[in-house]
Order: sequence, then structure tokens, then C-alpha cells
Amino acid sequence: MTLKWRPVIAFFYCQNIPEGGWEERLAIEKKHKGAVRLFPIPCSGRIDGVHLLRALEEFADGAIVATCPPGGCLNFEGNLWARKRAETSRKLIKSIGLEGERILIVEGTAGKSLDLMGLAEGFLQKISLIGPSPVLYPKDMPPGTGVGFSLKGESVHDYC
Amino acid sequence: MPAKYMIHAGQTPDRFETVTKSGIIAWEEGCLKCAVCVKKRCVYRVYEKRGLDALQMVDSVDNQCMNCLRCVQGCPKELIHKSVSPEYKALGDEYWSAEIISKIWYQARTGKIPVSGAGYPGPFSGAGFDSMWTDMSEIVRPTRDGIHGREYISTAVDLGGTPRHLSFGIEGALEVPTPKVIDMPLPVLLRVPSVGRITPNLISGWAVAARRLGIFLALGNEHINAAPGTCLSSLMPVVEEESLKCSAYPGTKIMELIMREDTHRVAEMLKTIKEPEFISVRIPVSRGVDDRALALAKAGLSIIHLEGTDDGRFLDDPTKSIKDGIRSTHLRLVEAGLRDAVTLLASGGMAMAEHVPKSLICGADAVFVDIPILVALECRLCGRCGEGLPCPVKMDKAEPVWVARRVVNLMAAWHSQLLEVMGAMGIRDARRLRGEAGRAMFFEELDRSTFANLGKTEEGCELE
Repeated sequence: MTLKWRPVIAFFYCQNIPEGGWEERLAIEKKHKGAVRLFPIPCSGRIDGVHLLRALEEFADGAIVATCPPGGCLNFEGNLWARKRAETSRKLIKSIGLEGERILIVEGTAGKSLDLMGLAEGFLQKISLIGPSPVLYPKDMPPGTGVGFSLKGESVHDYC
Repeated sequence: MPAKYMIHAGQTPDRFETVTKSGIIAWEEGCLKCAVCVKKRCVYRVYEKRGLDALQMVDSVDNQCMNCLRCVQGCPKELIHKSVSPEYKALGDEYWSAEIISKIWYQARTGKIPVSGAGYPGPFSGAGFDSMWTDMSEIVRPTRDGIHGREYISTAVDLGGTPRHLSFGIEGALEVPTPKVIDMPLPVLLRVPSVGRITPNLISGWAVAARRLGIFLALGNEHINAAPGTCLSSLMPVVEEESLKCSAYPGTKIMELIMREDTHRVAEMLKTIKEPEFISVRIPVSRGVDDRALALAKAGLSIIHLEGTDDGRFLDDPTKSIKDGIRSTHLRLVEAGLRDAVTLLASGGMAMAEHVPKSLICGADAVFVDIPILVALECRLCGRCGEGLPCPVKMDKAEPVWVARRVVNLMAAWHSQLLEVMGAMGIRDARRLRGEAGRAMFFEELDRSTFANLGKTEEGCELE
């Protein structure tokens, strides 16, 4: 059984981003059925390195965080801390031999809307170029196996 | 006196991490490293037991937090903030609110009455059932040994009409045939919801739950085969007029007909049906529902089902609540002297335990519960299944045994709440609660009687 790899990304975004509503979320889910797993968070300052690393460990080929514009955080400095933590996590994954580009943080721009769909698609493309995560699909394992595929051949795409 | 009706509930855990209201935002940066950190002082030890479900990306810190806010208030650098979780905000819709959904989850998990703490923080009045308040004037003391103690409160109701009077022969023998009724221990019937992706496992679980509870599960033709054969007597097949004659469900006690055409033709048609013995006729709650129900009662039909929308409103008028439809129908039947000849069932928008006694007070004999039996299975009413997206709680993987236990738990919690309310109202029999409007206050009526005359002076009235 050979199963074709499709990238999966974990998309964390602050709930206070005006474009992060239910309709936008459903539109992304419909278009990318399971390839983009969306996680709205109460504030981008809630994101922890553990969230990003565990996402990469369990199911995602890449993780992206979208935050409010600088100075626009309801909790004053949540987005600043999110950036720092994402950067630390990036250094960490680099140190174990993963590509640093698998973690991305995007800040909004004051007065300009943040296109979540565009961001997700752009990041998916980037991850497709980088290739499957060696954490989920180790090179010495046959295709269709690894963490990315369960024994029944279910892909992680089956989770939503 | 019949044996006391008890529903045996048992803890039935969720399959997935629950979505909770709490969203803790805490950061380490700027931490003073106090000797005794507020996180260590958490009485629920939430921070110590912290873990992450990476697939669902649910942090245990949110699920275990009891919202006491001690950490938020106590941190000297104010590094801990609380917010409402975005997943919680996305639950349900305006009517099926996140609070209702999470309360149903709790009841289905534990079988216990949800306790929200002292005081009532909600609005004074609202739309629909929220605009009526039950009269708890009989609460004078806690009952000696609780709602399941020695005091007997019956929640049983009858389905089927009763004659207006009995007549006896010279020797005292009964001349009229004995009325036939179905005795149901709970004024609730289950119904397959109109939303969600319904699988055979769910039908099977619901049917088992209905049998265990001694009530019925109303289901369409397409689902009948999914129910186990042993539960046949607890099923209530729902049929269209066209398929009435060719449908036969041996072993069932009651059937439901969706009425579309004129009353008399349906009444004549039903007279030809011998099995099952009881047939309920479903009519929509819309303008003139009371007239239609009266016509059906006059035509000799004994069970009428008033169906509202899923959010408990009239089908043709979203400003009117189903409670008004039930009340007007009940009063019309009372005026015509036909109320006891008919059983009124109501459905649509029954979301909370309190909606059962409130519907009964408005004049229904029993209610259908549909969406809550799906929500009890962790459904988030997100509508993803309708869009062809995968279900976040994998409803298709739910086992029938688990489904049955969750629904029995939910009904156990509702039964307990019904007992509480009836005890507090001083009513010992659910049959007596029907139409007992004196045990409730209606906001519209109070508003009218208090404020309608404001600014008007009556003739001959002298101001002091």
C-alpha cells in the first residue's frame, strides 16, 4: 500500500484577530480538509514552545502562529512573547536537525487585515517544498507507515 | 402504589477532551520567582498536573481550572490572565448556547444535576421558556431524605385519551369499554434529531436507552432496521401519509403519522389501522395550531404531537415561542371540554431539564427530546458533518453501549430535576402538573398587568 504524502500544518491564531471568525475558519477547513488544523487561542501569548513542538511531534509538518499587530494585543504583550517563544522553538528544532522554516510566526499589520486563508496556503506550499517531516515519516521506514499513518492506513488528515 | 421509578446512572467518561469555558493565559517572562508562587498555591493543583493532548491541542490547565481566579488575583506581577476559550465561544448557536451544551455534557457524563453555585447571574427574563418562572413556594425545608427518599413524587404520564365520563349498568357493571392508555414513567420521549450524521450505532444506543428508561424513541422508516429487535416495543415509527397503509411494524405499541392533508380523511384512514393500537398525529406549530388540534380532537384522534422548530419557535413566525402554541392549544381543548380525550405531545427546542416541567405547565402531557440526545454524545453542534467535514468527536466511532449509558445519564439528571421542581411546587404527580398555570408566572402577563396602565388615568379616579 503506497499512500501519497500531503503536508499537514498546525495553525495557531489569536481569537482577537478580526479575521479569525467562525466563517473564515470553516472556509479554510472546507478548502483544505484536514491539511490545515486550526487552533484558535485566547491570546497569542498563550502559545508555548511545547504546543509547537508537540504539534510537530504528533501530526504536523509545520506550525504557524498568527498574532495581533505590535501594540495591538489585548493583554499588552502577548504577541511579543509569542514571537520570542516561536523563535526559541525554531532554534530548538534546528539544533536537532529539522528545518527551522517549519515554524513560522506572522504578525498582523495595524490597519490591514490578516488573510488567514492566504497565510495557510502560502505556508502549505512552503512545507510542500521542504518535504515531509522526518519526525513523522522517518526515512528508514517504508512509505505509508510512520506516525503520519496509522496501522489501518488512516492518515492524520482524518482528524479535524 | 407502584414501585418507585428510579434511573440508575453511572459515571460515563467522555471520549474526547471536553471544551471548557476557561482559557488561561500565563507567561513566565518577567516572573519574580516568588518563594511561594500562586501556581503552587492552586487548591486544585492545576499547574502541577499540567499536560497537553497534542492531537486535540487541549491543555489540561483549561479543563481542570475551576475558575476561582485566585492565581489571577494573587500574582504580584499580574502575569496570569483569564479569557473565554475560543473553542467554547464557537459551540452551538444563539439558542443552543455553549452553556446549555456544556451542561448537557456534564449531565451525560455524571447523571447528576449540574450545580452552578450560589446566586443566579443570568438575565431577569428572556425569550421563550425564559419568560416563565415556576413557582417554588412550597420550598419550606429541605426534604428529609432528598428527592429519592421517602416522599413519593410520580413522574408517570399516560398516552392516549380517556372518556369524559363513565356509565354503569343497573348491576353496576361498566358499560363503556375501559380506556386504553400507555403508562410512561417519564413525561419524555426520545426522537432522532434532524441534525448530525446519524449512524446505526447511535440508533441502536438510543433504542436501548429508551427501553431501559421505559419510554419511546421516535424514528423514521430508514432507521428502523438499525434498532435491536429486543427494543421493538420501545420504538415509535414515524410514517408519512402515503406510506401509512403499506407500513406494518409488528411488535410496536405506538406509531406517528406526519399529517399533511385534511383532518377527516386522516381520521377515516386511521380507523382502518388496527396495529399498533396508538397512533400519534404530528402537526406543525404555526398560526392556527389550536384550531387544527381541536379539529383533530373532534375527529376522535387521541394523541396529537405539536412540532416546533429546533429552537423552540413557531414554524411560520420566529417571534412566537412554542410555549405559546402549547398553551393556546391546551386552553382551546379545555374550553371545548375535550382536553382529557387527547394527549398533547410537544417537540422543538427542549434543551434543558426545566423545559420539561415548563412545557407541562403550559399544557403538554409529554415532550420529545431530540438534539440533547445527540449533544449528550459530545456533539458540539458545529455543523461540520453537514458540510462534509470530519466530525471533531468522531461520532461514527461511538459504541451503542456508551451511547445508551450517556442518554440514560442525561435522563437521570433531568428526572432528578423534575422531581426537585415538582417537590418545590408541591405537586406530587406529573399528570397534575399539566396545564397548572397557577404554578407559574408569565413575564408577558406580569409586564402587562403592572405597566400597561402606566400614564393612563382612570375616569373618576382622584389623585391624592
